Amino acid sequence: MASQDTIRFISERCDGCGDCMTACAKAKGSASRVAIVAGSDGGWEMALCRQCGDPKCVANCPAGALDKHRDSGIVDWFKDLCVDCHLCTVGCVYGGIVFDPAAGHVQKCDMCDGSPACVPACDKGALEHLSAAGRLHEIHADKEDMFVPGLSACQGCNSELLIRHTMRRIGRNSVVAAPPGCIPGMGTVGYNGQTGAKMPIFHPLLTNTAAMLGGVKRQYERKGRDVTVVALAGDGGAVDVGFQSLSGAAERGERVLFICVDNEGYMNTGMQASGSTTFGSWTSTTPVGEIGRGKSTDGKYLPQLLMGHGCAYVATASTAFLDDYHAKLEKALEASRTGFAYLHVHAPCPTGWRFPAAMTTEVCRRQVETNFVTLWEFTPEDGLCFTRGVGRPRPVSDYVGMIGKYKHLGPAELERIQASVHRRVEVLQGFRRRSTAAG
Amino acid sequence: MNQLVNSSRKIVCDGNEAAARAVVLARPDVVSVFPITPQSSLVESLSQFVADGVLTAELINAEGEHSVLSALQGACLAGARTYTATSGPGLAFMFEPYIRTPGLRLPMVVSLVTRDMLSPQCVWGGQQDAMTVRECGWIQVYCENVQEVLDTVIMAFKLAEHKDVLLPVNVCHDGNYLSYAVSRIELPAAEMVDGFLGEPDVNWHIALDPDRPMAVDPLTGGTGPGGAASFVGYRKSQVRGMANALEVFSDIHVEWGERFGRHWAPLVEEYRLEDADYAIVTIGSMTGAGKDAVDAARERGEKVGLIKVKTYRPFPRDAIIAALGKVKAAGIVDRSVSFAWDCGPLHQDVMTTLFASPHRLALVGFIGGLAGADITSEHFQRVIELTAQAARGDVSASPIWLNEHD
Repeated sequence: MASQDTIRFISERCDGCGDCMTACAKAKGSASRVAIVAGSDGGWEMALCRQCGDPKCVANCPAGALDKHRDSGIVDWFKDLCVDCHLCTVGCVYGGIVFDPAAGHVQKCDMCDGSPACVPACDKGALEHLSAAGRLHEIHADKEDMFVPGLSACQGCNSELLIRHTMRRIGRNSVVAAPPGCIPGMGTVGYNGQTGAKMPIFHPLLTNTAAMLGGVKRQYERKGRDVTVVALAGDGGAVDVGFQSLSGAAERGERVLFICVDNEGYMNTGMQASGSTTFGSWTSTTPVGEIGRGKSTDGKYLPQLLMGHGCAYVATASTAFLDDYHAKLEKALEASRTGFAYLHVHAPCPTGWRFPAAMTTEVCRRQVETNFVTLWEFTPEDGLCFTRGVGRPRPVSDYVGMIGKYKHLGPAELERIQASVHRRVEVLQGFRRRSTAAG
Repeated sequence: MNQLVNSSRKIVCDGNEAAARAVVLARPDVVSVFPITPQSSLVESLSQFVADGVLTAELINAEGEHSVLSALQGACLAGARTYTATSGPGLAFMFEPYIRTPGLRLPMVVSLVTRDMLSPQCVWGGQQDAMTVRECGWIQVYCENVQEVLDTVIMAFKLAEHKDVLLPVNVCHDGNYLSYAVSRIELPAAEMVDGFLGEPDVNWHIALDPDRPMAVDPLTGGTGPGGAASFVGYRKSQVRGMANALEVFSDIHVEWGERFGRHWAPLVEEYRLEDADYAIVTIGSMTGAGKDAVDAARERGEKVGLIKVKTYRPFPRDAIIAALGKVKAAGIVDRSVSFAWDCGPLHQDVMTTLFASPHRLALVGFIGGLAGADITSEHFQRVIELTAQAARGDVSASPIWLNEHD
């Protein structure tokens, strides 16, 4: 699923009139870059660039003439660099980039500077201009932001983004627990009689969030009231001292939604290492010195452990893929009506990991592109399903190189990280159901 | 007591079952349990009552005592009347949420089936667990016998939930001697207990409820504006609630006596003290043997009485001063130790209390009954002899370890 702009074709609405092609040709002063073609079932299909998240045309280009733009997400073609080999057209399964004999080179959709001419030209409604932000805005814009404007998270922190999105969706009929960590630290629970939240919120112990919420839920169930109970916990309150109560509540199937916002350490109190801190990481308790080389062991991978607890739903998520997160949040909320639901959201920390605040979303994306973070969901019925493919990842050095906490690492250590990334993907693939795992 | 004042019935059970039956009568909303010796049969009884539909509470079989109390905190914040029980190492594991509960002003009832603390490794009774947490802000009351366990667990809910108190209550009954000792007791009729306790109203002051959204326990204190005053305000009201418990619990005992015909001393019981020259001071189940020893000594012409401490936290200073004001010497028997003071905790509290009184008397400290050891009539006979000797001016060095040669 693309996280940025794309055009959606709804084939059942298309009558093959070709108005879109006319509009495109007119807008571009050349042959149309979209093409209506006969579908195999007697309907119509559209050859169109999807502005893929993982574009094969770019991967195939030997000349660097195609590139996915960092900000817009649009796959750009550069005439000056193109060597007319047409390998890009072989890579694209959508017919989104094709040779134009009249022009003498390939052509592709460039989204018309954010306002594609084809979309309004279609009076059948068969074309929709989709952007992740637009989609999310459409669904959530009218919902109330459940936190005050003045939360004091660090610049570039994606936890604030995450909790605002989450609670905007869940709304007031909820009880939230935010154990000690960055989330209460930014003022959600409050100080001296003032609060940063509009729904009931509690500052439980670092150790007892899941058990405490289980008790809240049981009482509301007893009273016949449908209240959503949510944990907004850090990794310490889930992976480390919070693990026992989390494990127990999951095993009991308490009707709780537990969200772990994993910034791989105790960032709120000065970047001490946690069980979730990954191998090689500098932290204030795994420092780098004459002898020290950062954390000497791998991080504990909690979402995998939760699969062994009989949870109704377990998923991982990244804020670089917010529509994926929202889809999982929906499923997790539904699952938490009948059992324990667990969401593990990766939260790179610009302050504690040493990267520029403006880079957070790019770091999140790179984690996923390198398989350092994988996006998947698990239910006992369907097993594990990757919600973003794990084939052909970028080398993990593309991610590690962005982060200051890894800057002391040498080739051998990088190799170890790369090997453990591969191993984890293999292990996760083993959780797929046999029937779907085939191939 | 021969004439039934209500539709109560008589049954035979041990202290653990009596506590469980009291819980049934108190109709809690949420009960969370984790078994530990010597409390296990109590939570087994509760589980069976739930399985039989006798107790309709939500039962949470948590994975440890830490989660037991945490789940109850959540339930209580959502408006539930709550109960659990624990012992020794279980209480130690529960400590983190335990010490937070009074500050949250959550009116829970938790039975402590008292057990000595390891190490040395032991699974037997002793009050070291309860005494270790005597300064955590929980109300602590100690029971003498199985009937008192049942009556006190019910009364404890009324005490905890009283709006002038709003604090959690530990009802302590001695491991082994009360947990497993079987007696004939009177079981009050359910509707009479309903009338006595009323509907729970436990989270009117602090709640996790979408109908009354609030931040529960935001950071308080520090040197920021109003921080210190705010924290002091909370702490002071907590201390005041604790102090209020003495009078409230006394009133509750009067009402209990009127409704159910059993009159227990709420704070301190004075036994044969009117004309006594000296007294022994007891706490918990040892009191029974102590009273027998006092009776026997009285028959020999000894002018000895007994002071039983029921409410230990808050410490009933005025009642202790009033009782000790009648005698010239006291022998204080503890079932645990104060490591800091080379005496028993009760002994230490009595000494502290006497400083506020002009009355001076000789005190002798005894420590007995550790790790399941019995404190027999013979042991109490020795206590009485040494206290009598102290009353005559010959005060033995304390503490005297009653089971040292057993």
